[in-house]
Amino acid sequence: MVGAELGFAAKQLGSPISTLGVTGPPGAGKSSLINALISELLPSYPRIGVLMVDPSSPVSGGAVLGDRVRMAAHSPNRNVFIRSLAARGHLGGVTRATRSVIELLAAAGMDLVIVETVGTGQSEVEVAELTDVKLMVCAPGMGDEMQAIKAGILEVADLLVVNKSDLPDADRTANFLKGMLMHRGHQEKRAAMKVSTVRREGLAELAGAIQSRLADARDGARGLGNRTDEPRNRFARDTADLLAALLRESSDPRIEEIMHKHLSGEVSRRDAACEVLRLLARKTDWLDGVDASGTGLT
Amino acid sequence: MHDTKPRPRVLLTKSFIDSHDRAIETIALALRDAAMEVVLIDYEQPEDVVTVALQEDVDVIGISFMSGGQVETTQKIFAELQRRDVADLPVVVGGIIRPFDEPPLREAGVKNIFRGGAPLSEVVATFETLSRTYRGLA
Repeated sequence: MVGAELGFAAKQLGSPISTLGVTGPPGAGKSSLINALISELLPSYPRIGVLMVDPSSPVSGGAVLGDRVRMAAHSPNRNVFIRSLAARGHLGGVTRATRSVIELLAAAGMDLVIVETVGTGQSEVEVAELTDVKLMVCAPGMGDEMQAIKAGILEVADLLVVNKSDLPDADRTANFLKGMLMHRGHQEKRAAMKVSTVRREGLAELAGAIQSRLADARDGARGLGNRTDEPRNRFARDTADLLAALLRESSDPRIEEIMHKHLSGEVSRRDAACEVLRLLARKTDWLDGVDASGTGLT
Repeated sequence: MHDTKPRPRVLLTKSFIDSHDRAIETIALALRDAAMEVVLIDYEQPEDVVTVALQEDVDVIGISFMSGGQVETTQKIFAELQRRDVADLPVVVGGIIRPFDEPPLREAGVKNIFRGGAPLSEVVATFETLSRTYRGLA
């Protein structure tokens, strides 16, 4: 498998790379903001890679990858590599392949990779495991204090950005976010900032804040330290993906039997799952012939 | 939904000064519904189309023309394809293609021309075939 060999080769190079995650609800202006940030960050990071994830259709599996439309100005620049990725059914805001692609871009000599997630709701936090510094982009009028103190994406973001600050309500939204941060006291390292990509306001300040946090991440001075669980989480997800592929494709009569017992209401969902795991634990040859291509594991 | 099959990956593009986006969006949706991954851009220079096609690893390029530049732009894109060593990447054009545009477009190497009223099923089938051929699956 070419993909697997390439992946190992890229990993062995182990080039250091800075990573920036950009997430937020659809239409908050993530792509436009990245377009503006590329110009601000290029002087410090001479080669920038951008990965943009858009959703795949749950009906056909196809996708319209339209984030690049906002970045036409950077198309001729050979120091900016932009690639659109379809989520292909993976939830969490990124794709299964995202980590491998970041490793490839590092091996290709990029200095910074920006990952734009699909338009997210409240809990798509997977990008936090992949990137050093996280930007949460929201548009004015996203909600009140109650939304601001809920658990989820706001907790894992390093910088909370209110985009479109030229629109009314931007101050109110920024103040809700600042109020939320104030609950945390003096230890709080996160910041809420206002920018307008249309008026090109606040971009230099935001770029500065991103750079200082990327530098901190590089020195290991991370306040939240929320990447410590990452290898284990990834390992668990990869294993679960492989197991799911096996069970979907399996024609083993014993697995069929357990499934039918569950469908007829004889055993609960949890008991059926446990029984399958016990069955697999006794089988030693169960991975033979599993088509793992669907899991993105190569 | 699992990506066990390679899906056609195509690039649809029009000039950034051409604001007629109804046609290109109609085609994008039809291809999406046919399980393809469609990258959309508005190019500033014809050469940019090839840069993006390479970065995105697409199998087909579709160019929409609703105002001018049909022949000139297409020729520039083919020249750049040649220069970047991907002369076999298939290109189709659509939109307002006048009768006298057709011979030079064909000569440049355009695989297909879709004018207003072309059945979507035909458009989808063409992209599918071109993608499979380019990937060596057909």
